[in-house]
Amino acid sequence: MLFMRNPERSEIFLRDLNALFLEATFQGGDQDILQKTLDAGMHVLGGTRGFLAIMHHETGELSVRCTAGEGWTEDAKRLRVHLAQENTRGITGHVAVTGEPYFTGNVENDPFHVRYFEDTRSEVAVPIMGPFGRIRGVINIESTEENAFDADDCAHLVALGVAASVYLTMEGFIARETALIEIGKNLTSTVELSELMHKVVDITTEALQFEDCSVFLIDENTNQLVLQASRGVLAGNAGEAAYELGEGLTGWVAMHGTPIRLEDPPSDPRWKGRFTEFPSNEIGAFLAVPIISRDRIIGVLRVLRRKSFSPWFSNRFTQTDERVLTTIASQLGAAVENARNFRKLIRSERMAAWGELSAKSAHMIGNRSFALKGDLNELKHLIEQLPDSPIKESMTEVAQSMTRGVDKLDELLREFRDFVVATQLTLAEADFNALIKEVVSESFPKRSPVALKLDLDESLPPIRCDSVKLKRAFSELIENSISFQPEGGELIIKTSLMSPEDRAEFRLAWSRDFIKVEFIDTGPGVPDEIKKRIFQPFYTSRVKGMGLGLSIVKGIIDAHQGQIIEIGRKGEGAHFVVFLPINNSKL
Amino acid sequence: MIKEDLMARVLVVDDEDEVRAALKRRLEREGYEVSTASSAAEATAVIRDQNPTFDIVITDMSMEEPDSGLVVLQEAIAHDLFTEVIVLTAYGNVSNAVESMRRGAFDYLEKNSPGVDTYELLIMKLAHALERRRSAVGTMRRLESFSKMMKQ
Repeated sequence: MLFMRNPERSEIFLRDLNALFLEATFQGGDQDILQKTLDAGMHVLGGTRGFLAIMHHETGELSVRCTAGEGWTEDAKRLRVHLAQENTRGITGHVAVTGEPYFTGNVENDPFHVRYFEDTRSEVAVPIMGPFGRIRGVINIESTEENAFDADDCAHLVALGVAASVYLTMEGFIARETALIEIGKNLTSTVELSELMHKVVDITTEALQFEDCSVFLIDENTNQLVLQASRGVLAGNAGEAAYELGEGLTGWVAMHGTPIRLEDPPSDPRWKGRFTEFPSNEIGAFLAVPIISRDRIIGVLRVLRRKSFSPWFSNRFTQTDERVLTTIASQLGAAVENARNFRKLIRSERMAAWGELSAKSAHMIGNRSFALKGDLNELKHLIEQLPDSPIKESMTEVAQSMTRGVDKLDELLREFRDFVVATQLTLAEADFNALIKEVVSESFPKRSPVALKLDLDESLPPIRCDSVKLKRAFSELIENSISFQPEGGELIIKTSLMSPEDRAEFRLAWSRDFIKVEFIDTGPGVPDEIKKRIFQPFYTSRVKGMGLGLSIVKGIIDAHQGQIIEIGRKGEGAHFVVFLPINNSKL
Repeated sequence: MIKEDLMARVLVVDDEDEVRAALKRRLEREGYEVSTASSAAEATAVIRDQNPTFDIVITDMSMEEPDSGLVVLQEAIAHDLFTEVIVLTAYGNVSNAVESMRRGAFDYLEKNSPGVDTYELLIMKLAHALERRRSAVGTMRRLESFSKMMKQ
């Protein structure tokens, strides 16, 4: 019946509509189509002016995308929609809330109409619907004539609204497809993991219209979820912000491997809100999916949206959002695995080559120095045969200096070899206190201005360790302490079982118990600014050697899967704390 | 016969020319008769052909293999139970040093000990080793002549 009244109009309309659908379906992304839709509406309804407004995906605010007819300025566009939204008044607002078409033939008597253009008499508005019953926008057409529109006009405009809806949906699909292709491309071309994470976060946020996006990965050592990349305020916390497994919504996803999709996340009992991209009370929707790699949960990908400003607009995440995010997460999982394997491979090849090279060169240099010693020995013998003279004296001096040089070379070689073999352990069960006593008797000088105090916990259990290497490490700490207290002072060596507080403070593995050994002295201490560097190779504040000392110590402790840190304060003396696991069955 | 007793025979095994040269020169100055070999394989051949046998074998540990010294040690002792073997090791290779002692070496010496005159130390150890060999050989000879006497 609809098109019987005016067959000619119907024919034009159908042709327009047909063209619009074809364009919307096959040429998504072309903004022009929305304008054409509005123009077709104006044409078929014979309106004076009209506009098409789209809701912001997140806030629900309407904004005018295109207009038709006379009287539009930039201000007019902005104000027109603003009025329409105020307290859900206005015909446009009413349609946006109800999702039902609406028309009036006399705005003067209309309960919803808000006057904006003086000459408006009739108004018709229809919704543009989206997937999941969501309202995407409104098409509004006005006329200066009274009773310009009827139900038939309304129905025509609804059909145009569907064309606009098809266009918007296609636009969304294309953005999604582009984003996924973009991420896919980056996954294969980006080797550097952190760079990849940032790209994924950027693309996910922008192209998929999530307000903010963060990637967390599980740190294999601490078993915590650590932030890798994010946008906005959290970006600066990358590498630091960390959740325990099971803590908060994000931690829950990491522990259970199941996605969480929520509106108003702070009302969930699992909510913690420790690290959020914006204030908790502004979060409107939450979606987090696990990043899985080879059946193992390795992290969480999480997106948030702000609460919408409009009471009628829900910006919750949809099932489709969850599917898309899960797809990205699984691609990311594979990429992380690849990057990690690649890094391991490079490292192990490098280490193997490095180890072989070091062993070979140390051996060859050692042999040369040994031969040199022999020559020097012979030279000294020959010099002794000479009759006494000033020249003989000088020659003897030179020979002695050479001997000192070769000795120095041997010392460097020794340091170098210690560094290279620091991580090659030969484990056996040992009495830890006895080990400490041996080190002290071997390394602590009989006469020293430094007073030594041993404070040993006699209840320590035996420990599986490489005694030779540990003794090497501890003697380094002792020698260090003595060399920094040339005027005298004190060195306390203390052993104990770690306390529960230690476990929390130093983030020791939960599955193991540790022996704690401390070296506390009254020397100058370690300034804060170099605390992080003292364990790096070639860092030294002493003139002796290559500066490998503390890095050898750290290498040996690390190889035992222990920990070493310096916690003293500058001016109050150095305080080294070493933790060594008791049950080293995994080594 | 007397001359043979005075000039002790030493085999020096090392894969570095300079090391062999330095050791040979020093040992000859001390009055030893020095032969050299540059690998465990060459040492094996030299030891098998040598008659009378070497009194002392000084061998590097790490040559073709990281434990080539152990091969030389075994060969020397197999050929003459009373040959004394001194093993030279690189610094830090304690496990190989301990192993060579376990297998009957007279002693081991670290090539690169800062502040130690390794050559003087070696000469001292060599003298001790020679003493032990001579006393062992002497005991053996007395034992042999005693058993001969008993048979008569």
